[in-house]
Amino acid sequence: MAITQAELSALVGHRFAGGTYRIEHWENWLLTNCTGADPLPDGVVHPIALFHVPILGAGTSITELFELGQASGAGSVGLEGYDWEYFVALREDVEYRMEGGIVEAERRTADDGRVYDRVAFSIELFDDSLLVARITNRWQFFRDLP
Amino acid sequence: MNSYAESAEVNEELPTWTMDSVDPARMKTMAAILRDPYSVHWDPVANSALGLGGRVINQGPLNLGYVVNMLIAWAGPTCVRRLTVSFARPVLDGDRVVARGRVISLQSTRGEHTATCDVWLERGGETVVSGTAVVAFGTKPSPSSTSH
Repeated sequence: MAITQAELSALVGHRFAGGTYRIEHWENWLLTNCTGADPLPDGVVHPIALFHVPILGAGTSITELFELGQASGAGSVGLEGYDWEYFVALREDVEYRMEGGIVEAERRTADDGRVYDRVAFSIELFDDSLLVARITNRWQFFRDLP
Repeated sequence: MNSYAESAEVNEELPTWTMDSVDPARMKTMAAILRDPYSVHWDPVANSALGLGGRVINQGPLNLGYVVNMLIAWAGPTCVRRLTVSFARPVLDGDRVVARGRVISLQSTRGEHTATCDVWLERGGETVVSGTAVVAFGTKPSPSSTSH
């Protein structure tokens, strides 16, 4: 088990660099198409953009999050759950500002006995000073692969 | 509140939304959009150790996307106010999944009418994603189920 309990606990409070993200039409079109839906009208961004837009806009990446959680290869990371709040619908070609960080990190044991670390991060999205969305994602980093 | 929302009732089931076959090509596009290096979504060879028989694992946001598509088809493109979901089982390429929902309560907050719904994604009789959604009624929902 590569990551110690102390290292895991120290992740809480880690802040991402912060930054901005503009969702362009082509990206929204492809994203929506991946879900099997037609493009939404009036430049409305498909709601599942709240997965990657906060991560990239906050100045981090899936790669960095895997490194922080010390993922160890295929099958070592799983999704636990999301809590996504939408205060204003996201639109194409709007530059959103994002900030956030890691809010939870704890070692747990699954019902089948596998040990995993639950790591949660929360990011807020702003249009100027207006809060438009907030996400909290919980990931599982498995430590004892079969 | 529009006429459909006025007629919505607690325990009412939402029209289903079906993905007939989860497409691995869409997973590749999604991986590029997400800048996702996790090979379980696009490299069946790398998944051999996982016992997936040459299949790849759909991205969680896409599984949630089918649920969102059901909500949008029902209540309009800007209807989603909150999604709280957990992921129980991976979805693989070729799987047929059906998004389902049920109204559990109706509210009116600051002049906006919303429904809180149980939502879930099924593969066969197995629930692979489940949670709750808060949906606002801004446009007239479609009453019919859809398949893609």
